[in-house]
Amino acid sequence: MSSYRFIVRKAAVLGAGVMGAQIAAHLVNANIETLLFELPAESGDPSTPATKAIGKLKKLEPAPLSVASKAACIQPANYDQHLGLLTDCDLVIEAIAERMDWKTDLYAKVAPYLGQHTIFASNTSGLSINQLAQAFPEELRHRFCGIHFFNPPRYMHLVEIIPCKESDTSMLDDLEAFLVTYLGKGVIRAKDTPNFIANRVGVFSMLAVIHHAEAFGLGFDLVDKLTGSLIGRPKSATFRTADVVGLDILAHVINTMQNTLADDPWHAYYTPPAWLQALIDLGALGQKTGKGIYQKIDKEIHVLDLATNSYRLSADALDEDVASLLKLKNPVEKFSALRSSEHPQAQFLWAIHRDLFHYCAVHLTAIADNARDLDLAIRWGFGWNQGPFEIWQTAGWNQITAWINEDIAAGKSMSNAPLPAWVEEIGQNAVPGVHSAQGSYAPLTHAMQPRSTLPVYRRQLFPDRLSNEERVYGETIFETDAVRMWHTGDEIAIVSFKSKMHTIDIEVLNGLQQAIEEAEHHWRALLIWQTEPPFSAGANLQKATEKPKSEEPPSAFDQFMKKFKKTAQSTILQAARSLDLADALMAGKLAEVETLITRFQQLSQHLRYCMIPTVAAVDGLALGGGCEFVMHCDRAVATLESYIGLVEAGVGLLPAGGGCKELALRAARNAIDDDPFPQLKHYFQTVAMAQLAKSAEQAKQLGYLRPADPIIMHRFELLHAAKIQALALAESGYRPPLMPRGIPVAGSTGIATIKGTLVNMLEGHFISEHDYLIGSKIAHVMCGGDLTPGSLVDEEWFLRLERKAFIELLATEKTQARITHTLKTGKPLRN
Amino acid sequence: MAKQTQDAYIVAALRTPVGKAPRGMFKNVRPDDMLVHVLQAVMKQCEGLDPAAIDDVIAGCAMPEAEQGINVARVALLLAGLPNSIPGMTINRFCASGLQAVALAADRIRLGEADVIIAGGTESMSMIPMMGNKVAMNPAMYMHDENVAIAYGMGITAEKVAQQWKVNRDQQDEFAMTSHMRALQAIETGEFKQEIAPYPIEEKRPDLTSHETMTVKSVKDTDEGPRADTSLAALAKLKPVFAADGSVTAGNSSQMSDGAGAVVMMSAAALQRFNLTPIGRFIGYSVTGVPPEIMGIGPIKAIPKVLKQVGMKQDDLNWIELNEAFAAQSLAVINELDLDRAKVNPLGGAIALGHPLGATGAIRVATLLHGLRRRQQKYGMVTMCVGSGMGAAGVLEAL
Repeated sequence: MSSYRFIVRKAAVLGAGVMGAQIAAHLVNANIETLLFELPAESGDPSTPATKAIGKLKKLEPAPLSVASKAACIQPANYDQHLGLLTDCDLVIEAIAERMDWKTDLYAKVAPYLGQHTIFASNTSGLSINQLAQAFPEELRHRFCGIHFFNPPRYMHLVEIIPCKESDTSMLDDLEAFLVTYLGKGVIRAKDTPNFIANRVGVFSMLAVIHHAEAFGLGFDLVDKLTGSLIGRPKSATFRTADVVGLDILAHVINTMQNTLADDPWHAYYTPPAWLQALIDLGALGQKTGKGIYQKIDKEIHVLDLATNSYRLSADALDEDVASLLKLKNPVEKFSALRSSEHPQAQFLWAIHRDLFHYCAVHLTAIADNARDLDLAIRWGFGWNQGPFEIWQTAGWNQITAWINEDIAAGKSMSNAPLPAWVEEIGQNAVPGVHSAQGSYAPLTHAMQPRSTLPVYRRQLFPDRLSNEERVYGETIFETDAVRMWHTGDEIAIVSFKSKMHTIDIEVLNGLQQAIEEAEHHWRALLIWQTEPPFSAGANLQKATEKPKSEEPPSAFDQFMKKFKKTAQSTILQAARSLDLADALMAGKLAEVETLITRFQQLSQHLRYCMIPTVAAVDGLALGGGCEFVMHCDRAVATLESYIGLVEAGVGLLPAGGGCKELALRAARNAIDDDPFPQLKHYFQTVAMAQLAKSAEQAKQLGYLRPADPIIMHRFELLHAAKIQALALAESGYRPPLMPRGIPVAGSTGIATIKGTLVNMLEGHFISEHDYLIGSKIAHVMCGGDLTPGSLVDEEWFLRLERKAFIELLATEKTQARITHTLKTGKPLRN
Repeated sequence: MAKQTQDAYIVAALRTPVGKAPRGMFKNVRPDDMLVHVLQAVMKQCEGLDPAAIDDVIAGCAMPEAEQGINVARVALLLAGLPNSIPGMTINRFCASGLQAVALAADRIRLGEADVIIAGGTESMSMIPMMGNKVAMNPAMYMHDENVAIAYGMGITAEKVAQQWKVNRDQQDEFAMTSHMRALQAIETGEFKQEIAPYPIEEKRPDLTSHETMTVKSVKDTDEGPRADTSLAALAKLKPVFAADGSVTAGNSSQMSDGAGAVVMMSAAALQRFNLTPIGRFIGYSVTGVPPEIMGIGPIKAIPKVLKQVGMKQDDLNWIELNEAFAAQSLAVINELDLDRAKVNPLGGAIALGHPLGATGAIRVATLLHGLRRRQQKYGMVTMCVGSGMGAAGVLEAL
């Protein structure tokens, strides 16, 4: 195997259920030819069940496919006709129902067809990998292992790889490298113990919450408030997550633990509570049946109240004192305060953490190689901001340890199993706790285990950081209040923004200007890369005079839910927040705004025409002005999960940092027979509807990214990939493009034709008079103004139109009202 | 009866079945081929007619470009195998194009300047979208308020008619339902058999496994639009498409369609010369303008105008083919003129049968004449509203 280079030319997924189909979707997101197998239909085309599952992918939210058209690249297949096709597949992922007998049958059936080097992996969440391996011919077992994706697989970062005893080490390394670079996943090697790492700990955490909620007499809605973003977990917290997952699924997982973990000190708790079983018996399984712990009645959320056994309006009776305790910045003080508070809500919070810490310490040796793997598994699989050991360590390792021991002695903890000896031992280290500069605690070797040295991780210049890890981002070239320019010891300069959400204000513009000048003189290329997402939430035309209100940082999971569930609304909200124009307007500082916009446009142009290559490395949101920077760099390198858009129209404005100009220019470049209009009308729609691309792939379709802009799958490989691109440009004898001098415009006929559509929307009351005005202005700018069609202009012509239209819209009362309203309420205003 | 220089007779009137656009049975069938088909079909019915005696071929088409461009009438007549000595002309009066072609042919004959003309129409809305492949509006439309309506889509004008003539949603849905029921009944009893020239389709598709080209053949002989599965409840569920607070839905509007029709017309002298029996006589035609924002009321002006012109009363008509552009405008016309609902579209209308814009006029002439003849009735009318604010109406007699 060592001489064989592992390449996945083609993959197959067996089982077209929710997980199987979504895994297939993510494989084609990564441009991997994929077959999706399902049982043959009894009549008609035998592949119909697989075809149907592929069809459903297009409707699922959040979208499993980066663009719906990719569904056509998944090839439907069935076990009667197509097993022969498996021979060409380098990776086969089995994702059928969790039944040992069914899986065993299937393995016997497919084994003869597997290719010489095919990796065969089972996406199981509950069954033993070694037991499954027994169903596989002995001579093939070295190519078998478990591969556990989390739902939804496109968005959840975690994949657990679970080797069986016979799994070949280099095969596992190949698979890990593939999952990381090509599917963009965070891989954790887990041991073959029930529910592996993330579900074992995550489900126990839910059971601890259920147990203590009952003990302290707290309602489901209050518990969700307490166990959500306030403590760095997803907003859906505990019980709403259960509804989303499905109460039957949850019960199934709990029962698995009950059946397989007889010797576990917490075994007594591995049983679904009576109310859970009662809901399941009623068919109230959560979101999928429209009723579970929560229920939507007349657009209002109602919650099950165990006291009355009926649903009531959901409300949270969060205690103000407890809320203020949770706002304490110092985790040591916070945990101390929670433990000493008499308030049942505080006691509850201490108790769920204590038992979770206790549980993780006792089980670490059995389930994971080291403490980092456990923490990252919970972060990547459950969307927590910090893993259990990180929380423990930042709250003071030894103090927490002492309190856990006290509570065990006092009989307060869920189990009286003693903490393992290593907990006290590592408390004696210079840095007490499981995470240190040398690595994270590995109980088998009693040593601090460094991160994996697999070659694939060399591409991650700055991997996901644990909160106890120090991080230094290279050497500073210069630093202002707004930006930092730095390098990592090579010839590529990197500039990162320091503003909140990486918004762009005059200071950022000045910093970038300085960076470009510095780079032109001393560096080979300039990268714009942020140390964490988003890339940029857009322009911030006036720096807020007040300090922003302190907010809990949203968890990764919340961020994606927000992005996908309420795209339209959050887009508009983001646009308004990023513009932060209210104050400037009230003061009537339109002239000041115009100066800023001019500056913005100059910078966009400078990114395009400076003497070194500029590369935007995009991950997460790139809105408004952020999108305009992306469009003006020589190249963008974007992760698949980049959400790019010119969203200014959402608050009654238009892109004026070169965005309209750039799209008009691109339309002119794509002009057929000198007519830019066919392309331009699509771009107009994109801007007028403030369309946000829901993937980098879609951003290409909408025209924000160019065909040559690479899309990469793994967030933490972004900097590496962007640097290589920058270097390639520099090494290819880089010169900026010549300024286009004869850009054909759609002119008066283009404007009139777009207005034809707008007039109908206005008459049909789909849009307001002000919407009509905004649309007309955008049309005016993008068509090059009231010119004879085909007239030739330069870029400055468009830029002037952008500035003028922006100020004209800003001067209207209705646009001002929209901005103010959105800033105040977070909702769009239609006026 | 108005005095005429001479009469114009109809000898044959045929059509294709009408397919749904843009994803129906004719989605890959070219509109020029459809016209070729109906030209050949009517010629077959005129045994003894010397093709060289045909003075002109006039075809209506509302979006005469691309597959139905470069004077589709001339192209089709040549492809149909008619002699190249026959001229061809494509004309456009939007939805009245097919009827206008028939009227123009009649006029040339009645004037004595032509003896034999084939009139017709063709339209593929699958291939050429409403408003054409390239929309390019005139900026001057927005300079005066009264001209903005030139830019209005037809749906908005229907909403305005619904409001001004007080036609509510329920009435529109009920009208649509009746259209489907009548059309289904007509298909069931074979009412369209005489007028439809079955269309053979031959499609070439790739077999990506064998790399062979497969030929798929079928023959289409039935209109695709009527829906047996529709109901008032289903219609009521549809959302208004043209106005957020409106009443016009996809269910109570005409369908987008593909189809073609052709009508052979000649003078009495030609009938005698070629020994042919007429099935109808053209009596008169009128067209008029109305404000573009309420284009749907066109027939309210055109119907009385043509009746006055030919000296007939509404009651003299046995059958009215009123093109159902929208249930809203159809009901406005019916109510305003107090038309007899039993006489209007007895076999269903465009809401069920479809509306291939420039072909519809010629198609409905065929429906009207064959229908009157089967019922041994005499006088009928084909009328329609026309985009940008016009109405057209033609009166015919079945023989």
